Amino acid sequence: MIKRTCCCCAILLLLLSVNRAEAHPHVWVTFHSEVLYAADGSVTGVRHAWTFDDMFSAYALQGISHAKKGQYTREELAPLAQTNVDSLKEYDYFTYARADGKKLKFTEPVDYWLEYKNPSLILHFTLPLKAPAAAKAMQIEVYDPSIFVDFAFAKDKPVSLSGAPPQCLATYDLPHQPTAAEQARLSQLDATPLDPSSTYGEIFANKILVKCP
Amino acid sequence: MTRSRAVFLTALAAIVIASAGGVASAWSAPFGEPHPATNLSASGLSGWIFAEQAAFYRSLSGFIRASKEDGAAMWGLFGISFLYGVFHAVGPGHGKAVISSYLVANEETWRRGVVMSFASAGIQSLVAIVVVAIAAVLLGATAKTIGLTVHLVEIVSYGLVILIGLRLFYVKGRGFLLACRELAWISAPALAVTSGRGSKILPLLTPRLGAMTVRGGQCLVNGCAGHEHGFHCHDDHHESAWGHAHGPDPAELAGAGGWRRGLSAVVAVGLRPCSGAIIVLIFALTQDLFWTGVGATLIMGLGTAVTVAAIATLAMSARQIASRVAEARAGFGMLTLRAIEVGAAALIVTFGTLLLAGYMASEQLWMFTG
Repeated sequence: MIKRTCCCCAILLLLLSVNRAEAHPHVWVTFHSEVLYAADGSVTGVRHAWTFDDMFSAYALQGISHAKKGQYTREELAPLAQTNVDSLKEYDYFTYARADGKKLKFTEPVDYWLEYKNPSLILHFTLPLKAPAAAKAMQIEVYDPSIFVDFAFAKDKPVSLSGAPPQCLATYDLPHQPTAAEQARLSQLDATPLDPSSTYGEIFANKILVKCP
Repeated sequence: MTRSRAVFLTALAAIVIASAGGVASAWSAPFGEPHPATNLSASGLSGWIFAEQAAFYRSLSGFIRASKEDGAAMWGLFGISFLYGVFHAVGPGHGKAVISSYLVANEETWRRGVVMSFASAGIQSLVAIVVVAIAAVLLGATAKTIGLTVHLVEIVSYGLVILIGLRLFYVKGRGFLLACRELAWISAPALAVTSGRGSKILPLLTPRLGAMTVRGGQCLVNGCAGHEHGFHCHDDHHESAWGHAHGPDPAELAGAGGWRRGLSAVVAVGLRPCSGAIIVLIFALTQDLFWTGVGATLIMGLGTAVTVAAIATLAMSARQIASRVAEARAGFGMLTLRAIEVGAAALIVTFGTLLLAGYMASEQLWMFTG
């Protein structure tokens, strides 16, 4: 009996250690996203503002020369901003867009810069769509499939529209434990699924949904 | 005994399936893995551990800040660092899988297992401290340079893991083949004789007949397998003869060769610094609290060591049960034992390869810093 218990414990721990190939995130990002529209009502891209957590901000700022202690200008941070967008390319900028269920592609970011607001570093960048997309239902997801970065919507006004036709309405979908109000919104979205082709895994992403009926 | 054996075989199968599952999930990671912020996927215990360690990690910055104002907050920081270490080590990347497999493959003693766990965690903390002290404090290097350094150290570490695994696999693979031959000989001594080199069973009255006489004379003790340097049996009738630990003989353990044996595995595993520790150290540095950060890092290592030692102990207990089963049943039991050893060695190679190839999750930071 003891043997068996011991065996079971060993199996459990080995399962734990090998089955889930995961570490926990070491980078936390809270983000604001603005969906950009052209005059003709089509979506042209997304403008992101990503705020890093204080520990990662300190790490990223390590060794960056700056004139004034505790202050970094946009110019001083320009090389780091360049490094950021360059290395994000490999990860598709953690941004995945669909127009009426069809996957969209982004081109390389424009208008990117870093801002330091003690204690956090904020990365601003615009991701233009390869081709502007007109869609009744636009879905933009922001997440890291490989868990190293934890993305979360900013608390205040995380999603906005820029130049969108008046009938467009933006909502967002939280992957974190939703509050009662958010739960209500979630259940409404469930009743009217916007993207029937979306796979199970995507429900865990930070989802931005824009409906232009 | 049959039941125990069945239990152990089930365990072995479970481990193999589990590791296969781990490999599969690691491969499907780019799009298959759900978002970490949810607990829906990471059910039960592993989800809880996942959430806890992230919470501990995030609270570290607050404790470091508080330590600046109030020295007493340092104790809170150290406490959280310890807990973070304990929980973090349950995740991958801290080599406990490698250490456990190594211990299982080598039939090491409990004491050695614990010492190896603590030594590798200690080395890991020290590497993080040394990297930050040299790169950040002395040279004022950027995060990019530090990331690159860590990456290089990682590659060396994974490479060493593969080498250790391959060496073990070779040694244990030979042991397995020898056990196979032994089994063939024991089960049908009157009919067949094993060939000297292959595992082919030859009929009697071939020119190889002499081999039977030689081996029969030397290896009649049940549970005694072939030694890699030739066949011989020990008087103490233990079940393994690999020139490794025969039992908790203090004199032997303390000997120079004694501790040196596990050193390669300890170094290979301990070389890779924890990204979390490096970030905490650099954050502490910006708060002018480098030494507090050093203390927190060392205590994190202590927490990690406790978990690794616990897991290694369990792996070794399972192995000991297998040994006892094998002792009672020389033929098939011994073969099973050898198979487990080969499996453990193969697991080390697999872990090393997956880590090196980047398929298995390690802690990457260069997605923002290059």
